[in-house]
Amino acid sequence: MSNYADIVVIADQIKNDLRPITFELLGAATDLAKKLGVKVQAIVMGYELGDIPQTLFHYGANEVFVVDKPELAEYTTLTYRRAALAVLEAMERPPHILLCGATTIGRDLAPRIAAYFETGLTADCTELEIGDYEHKGKADPAKTGLHKDCLYAIRPSFGESLKARILGPWKNPQMATARVGTMMPNEPDNSRTGKIIPVSVNFDESDFRVSVEETVYEVSNTVDLTQAKVIVSGGFGLGSADGFDVVRDLSSAFADSAVGSSRKAVDAGWIPYAHQVGQSGKTVRPALYIALGISGAIQHRVGMSNSATIIAVNKDEDAPIFQFAHYGIVGDLYEVAPLLKERFKTAMAGDVNVAKVGG
Amino acid sequence: MSGYKIAVLIKQVPDTSSKAGVNPDGTVDRARAKKMLNPFDKFALQKALEVRAEHGGEIIAITMGPPPAKEILAEALEYGADKGYLLTDKRLAASDTLATAYALYSVVKYLGDVDIVFTGLQTTDGDTAQTGPQIAERMDVPQITYLEKLAVVDGKIHGVRVIEGGVQKLTTSMPALITVANSAKPLEHKRFHNVHSVKELLRNEEELANKIFTVNLDDISADSSRVGLVGSPTVVGKTWKLGEKGGSCALFKGDAVSVEVAELVDKLKADERGIEELVQ
Repeated sequence: MSNYADIVVIADQIKNDLRPITFELLGAATDLAKKLGVKVQAIVMGYELGDIPQTLFHYGANEVFVVDKPELAEYTTLTYRRAALAVLEAMERPPHILLCGATTIGRDLAPRIAAYFETGLTADCTELEIGDYEHKGKADPAKTGLHKDCLYAIRPSFGESLKARILGPWKNPQMATARVGTMMPNEPDNSRTGKIIPVSVNFDESDFRVSVEETVYEVSNTVDLTQAKVIVSGGFGLGSADGFDVVRDLSSAFADSAVGSSRKAVDAGWIPYAHQVGQSGKTVRPALYIALGISGAIQHRVGMSNSATIIAVNKDEDAPIFQFAHYGIVGDLYEVAPLLKERFKTAMAGDVNVAKVGG
Repeated sequence: MSGYKIAVLIKQVPDTSSKAGVNPDGTVDRARAKKMLNPFDKFALQKALEVRAEHGGEIIAITMGPPPAKEILAEALEYGADKGYLLTDKRLAASDTLATAYALYSVVKYLGDVDIVFTGLQTTDGDTAQTGPQIAERMDVPQITYLEKLAVVDGKIHGVRVIEGGVQKLTTSMPALITVANSAKPLEHKRFHNVHSVKELLRNEEELANKIFTVNLDDISADSSRVGLVGSPTVVGKTWKLGEKGGSCALFKGDAVSVEVAELVDKLKADERGIEELVQ
């Protein structure tokens, strides 16, 4: 048995739907747990959770802590905080690592848990690893020395085209939130099972200072970038909001496509935030990503660099996007995009005579 | 007293849209970089202005950083904040989000009886979105993150919070901490008559002394062992530059655009990238 404490994942669910990030976290936790020789535990909080714990076993959890209470039917910061603390404080020792999703739940809850325990938390990680760390600085003697088997929480560091490895080995749990779409889930194994550990929680009156009046899903306004097979994105190089007409037009050449954008085009007010790809927007990995007038700043890159095929169009031959695109054209996107559309349709469409509607 | 005491937490960040201080390899020389008010914070300022316009009260902008960070406090005054507080202290260097949250919480506590604390969703340099909720934990108050709209009615905040694929409508008691989403209403660039311009204000020491206050950790009775490197549970262990792979991109240039496009599409087909199946 390992000397280390286990790895804990907080399951992300809305209305008893486990969100894909939960499976991604369990996948990452499985890899980390193997290296440490420890178990993967999950915490799931909610009401009438049914067979959710079984699903967590299928995706890699060895043990599942379940807090099932009517007060947890809807996510609120303080009730979920109380439930998570009840589980964590009931453990014999703190987990070695505690992972949450970088979602509107995880990014809301994880900082409160970290501040409560006064432990380290790294936001929006794109890679998680285990390794040793020697702290050479002597400014704080309590930190100096070699630390074995730490969590390497790796995230892009912005405004600077860098990746940074963040460490916090001095106190457990070592916490991180993981960016949606960056970790690989395990293949589900429906025969896997594990131990369910019910945990009770005593709420305080102060936990109900926030109440949820209503949760509304705006299907019509939602741009599902993460599900599209092709994304055509526009950047600051479009020059104006009207430039997105060209982006939409090229996008229409593909059956299952969506329009994306860089942060700069969103900040300029040319297109709503829902279209934003990148660190503060969506992470996508479509079969084809076409970037029009996007320079390829790190903030954009982390959101789309896992796309199977990337085509970039930019006037500036030195634009960073050409360092990681698979194909590039140096030229005026307003000239290139319409020609690309035409060429795709004539040279590639399987059956050019059949006009399809929608898509 | 009528109205609410509102704190808005803001940060000075490098202006990455400016070429100043950007090294040829894309890294930023922070000392030479042009600086700006974190764009996310403008949404927070707008919400504070909306609450004050409706209910009265006072808006206090708070920042932590080296002395030049005073510039963004002056900018906040120009947008309509009533006062600014700069927490500056060498002992704050190397603070991570937890230590930063403790420091900013200490300023809020020092001001006393704050009803609402607004922050931007995140900063453009740290990009963590953690400091707000960590301050709320220190204050032991409820929070609404990713807030898009709000109305204050009978001492309660009714907020609309953006979640994946929808919104949550929430009500919270005060005091509370709110982080404002960047899909919220943008800041109205309205000049307030009591303030002239950032530059003018920064030159006017008399007016500055009445509106912008500089404090250190001792002034606000903060525990210096909870900030800086000593107070930070995390460190940056290593950084490395991203993919200067180069050369792997099949680049088409120099020809007529129609030729480039034709060559690119031919190459896609030759490489068997499976693009055919995607075209409709």
